[in-house]
Amino acid sequence: MFPAYAGADSYPHISIAKGGLEEATKAAVSTLGGMKVFVSQGDKVVIKPNMSFAHPPERATNTHPEVVRALSEMCIEAGAASVMVLDNPLQGAELCLERSGIQEACRLVPQTSVHAFSSSRFFREVRLDQGKNMRQASVMQDVLEADVLIAAPVAKSHSATGVSLSMKGMMGLIRDRGIMHRRYNLSSAIVDLCTLLRADLTVIDATRVLSSHGPYGPGEVISARTIIASRDMVAADAKTVEMFPWYGRDIRPDQVAHIREAHERGLGRMDLENLETRTVTA
Amino acid sequence: MSFRTIIRFLSLGFFIFLLWMTTFPLKGWFPVDFFLRLDPLIFLGTVISSRQLITALIPGLLILLLTLVLGRFFCGYICPMGITLDVTDKVFGPGKNNNTKLSAQKHAVMRNIKYLVLLFILGTCLLGISSVFLASPLSLVTRFYGLVLYPGLVFMGEGFLTLVMPLSSALGVSFLTYAELEPYRFATQWFILLFFAAVFALAYYSPRFWCRYLCPSGALMALFSRNPVVGRKVSEACTDCSICQKKCPMDAIDSDPTRTSHHECIACETCVRVCPEQAVNFGIGEKKSGRVTGYLPARRQVLASLAAGAGSALLIQTGISSVKSEFIPGNILPSSLIRPPGALPEESFLGRCIRCGQCMKVCPTNTLQPVWLDGGLGGIFSPKVLPRRGPCDPLCNACGMVCPSGALRSLPLAEKMWAKIGTSYIIPFKCLAWEWKRECLVCYEVCPYAALELKRVDGNPVPVPYVIHHKCSGCGACEYHCPVQAGSAIVVEPMESLRMSKGSYIDKGRAIGLDLEADPDRQRRPPGHLFDGDDPGDLPPGFSS
Ligand code: SF4
Ligand code: SF4
Repeated sequence: MFPAYAGADSYPHISIAKGGLEEATKAAVSTLGGMKVFVSQGDKVVIKPNMSFAHPPERATNTHPEVVRALSEMCIEAGAASVMVLDNPLQGAELCLERSGIQEACRLVPQTSVHAFSSSRFFREVRLDQGKNMRQASVMQDVLEADVLIAAPVAKSHSATGVSLSMKGMMGLIRDRGIMHRRYNLSSAIVDLCTLLRADLTVIDATRVLSSHGPYGPGEVISARTIIASRDMVAADAKTVEMFPWYGRDIRPDQVAHIREAHERGLGRMDLENLETRTVTA
Repeated sequence: MSFRTIIRFLSLGFFIFLLWMTTFPLKGWFPVDFFLRLDPLIFLGTVISSRQLITALIPGLLILLLTLVLGRFFCGYICPMGITLDVTDKVFGPGKNNNTKLSAQKHAVMRNIKYLVLLFILGTCLLGISSVFLASPLSLVTRFYGLVLYPGLVFMGEGFLTLVMPLSSALGVSFLTYAELEPYRFATQWFILLFFAAVFALAYYSPRFWCRYLCPSGALMALFSRNPVVGRKVSEACTDCSICQKKCPMDAIDSDPTRTSHHECIACETCVRVCPEQAVNFGIGEKKSGRVTGYLPARRQVLASLAAGAGSALLIQTGISSVKSEFIPGNILPSSLIRPPGALPEESFLGRCIRCGQCMKVCPTNTLQPVWLDGGLGGIFSPKVLPRRGPCDPLCNACGMVCPSGALRSLPLAEKMWAKIGTSYIIPFKCLAWEWKRECLVCYEVCPYAALELKRVDGNPVPVPYVIHHKCSGCGACEYHCPVQAGSAIVVEPMESLRMSKGSYIDKGRAIGLDLEADPDRQRRPPGHLFDGDDPGDLPPGFSS
């Protein structure tokens, strides 16, 4: 469904941009070649931010609305026919849309809509052919129909999986998450899910990093003014883990079970020392 | 369309509109419990059973006093129950030319029943148990529209949206495609439905059967409208054709059509409209009464009904299922009986709650449900929190705001967050982290009060959750989200709930050592024992080596 990982031509594997919200977001993507590399004329794009919590941006549990807006603007400029910002929220959908600020931020971007829903009619049961344990999931219909999937998580810690970044975030696109806790090993099930929901582009919002007591907080919020982007979800997640202290301590990517397993299963790479990273200041 | 028809449908429409507006967040420009406050029985019964003058209910008293002037106009023009019956009578009624299938004799006997119902209810109220909800028309009709019709409509709405989805998404009508109606589900709805089906079906015997024979609020108003200032008058032009007598939906006209049983008359003016001689009008001045004698039940019956009510209340209060209170020894508190935030102490609560269902209708998470028998017979239809269905949102205080009787206190948000409704506990041998050693910790994730902490225990690679009791509000977010199936592995019980008739929950809570701020910016202190910051082998939660 999604184009396979396409190597790095003349562009780096990972781009890091520091600066203001919008500028850094745009710089991080253009360092990877610009949005046109990912989005073609007439594409349907789905952006998956964190907007599962009825919290304001300061709390760093949701992706910053400005980051989401900048991404959807770039997609439309690159010729996307439509951009849908989607999440299956943990709290009341309307409150999440409102308090996260994401709906309001994207209101004026043409062809862009922001939805949070959990009704079964929006989901379809699909097989996870490459799943090891979890072999089916109920995925949002709109995601299955999309041409491009962009993961746009906020960088935050997570009590059960260490961090919640692009891979963990994919759980927001399915209906029944409970089963991933109940029936399977959660970390391993996340990797199973990402064999299908493999983002074409990952843009991690580390403008604020919730470095402890995630995913709900309140926890320590580091102001980092950083955006990390890659075509490789695993690499983006790994880099983010490496860059910031978690609970005030340095953590290696291989200490995050789902990142380690994704790497081992060839879903992406966490061997940062072998990947080219370019840092720009916007 | 006659003036009366317009008023009636405006009234019913407004009732439905207000009920529809009973959603969170509340708009607050008009009291959505307006109609409930008009019911005289709700006023009288609740004042007696709670032994307090509840100012919000005074409109009911005003209606009663107005009855002295206007007769039972409330029944004919305002009561949504009566108007609903006018509609359903068209379906179930005895047909055009047949006003009633009951003989005059039966009618005379049966119309006393409503007084007995009234006396029974007042009898229970005398003993501090409110059974107003059994037959107060506004309590009944609000419950019916809110807990039976509304969820049904929402369900059909969702069905409709699903049906049109292929079309609406093909046409790009995105507001239709992505509209999501919150599904509502309620307990006891079968009972409510059957009750109403029976009331509707009684129209087979006569129109407005409920109002004629059963309604205790009607009975109360009848007592005040024996001789209203404005009432039915018949002029000399009457030719004694008795058409009016046949058409009167309340059978309020004597065999001598110039005479009126004013206490039965709901001022609907059907007689004015059907009179071929235009001999009837409503106005001030001399009026003739009919069938006044024997309009009240015999003294024996009066006493018997009062005693039956009081006796029932007594039985309820001496039943084993009565919930623990100041007067009742022992410690019976059903573990499932979590009352909404701001609920008065149980006895006062039951004395006031009229079981209208407004709180359940407004609750955005649908966690408020009518109780069936969990709290004994006296608790039927009163609200409880069902955490498995939904959590109590810390940022919502809607139930107290819409409660007409003050059984739930209307609390500002800051107070509401401190109105503890229970305490949760973990069942370790069901918990995925404790027993299955799985990374789960969803409860910890979702707790808005930061009342769950993680600890390391020997032999378990994952940290496990603990409840910090003085931080738990009982909101049930943990129980709702717990992925363990069947019963949750973390359960809220009404333990240590704050039930206060007056005073500040914040002050009280602080005084007893609670810490219930669901303040979004409060920092959760990293528990020292979670991991050893100096030991590189001991990692923060979620990381593994
Ligand atoms: S129970 Fe809680 S969520 Fe429901 S209406 Fe009351 S305050 Fe709101
Ligand atoms: S632990 Fe208490 S406050 Fe926290 S979610 Fe559970 S019931 Fe609510």
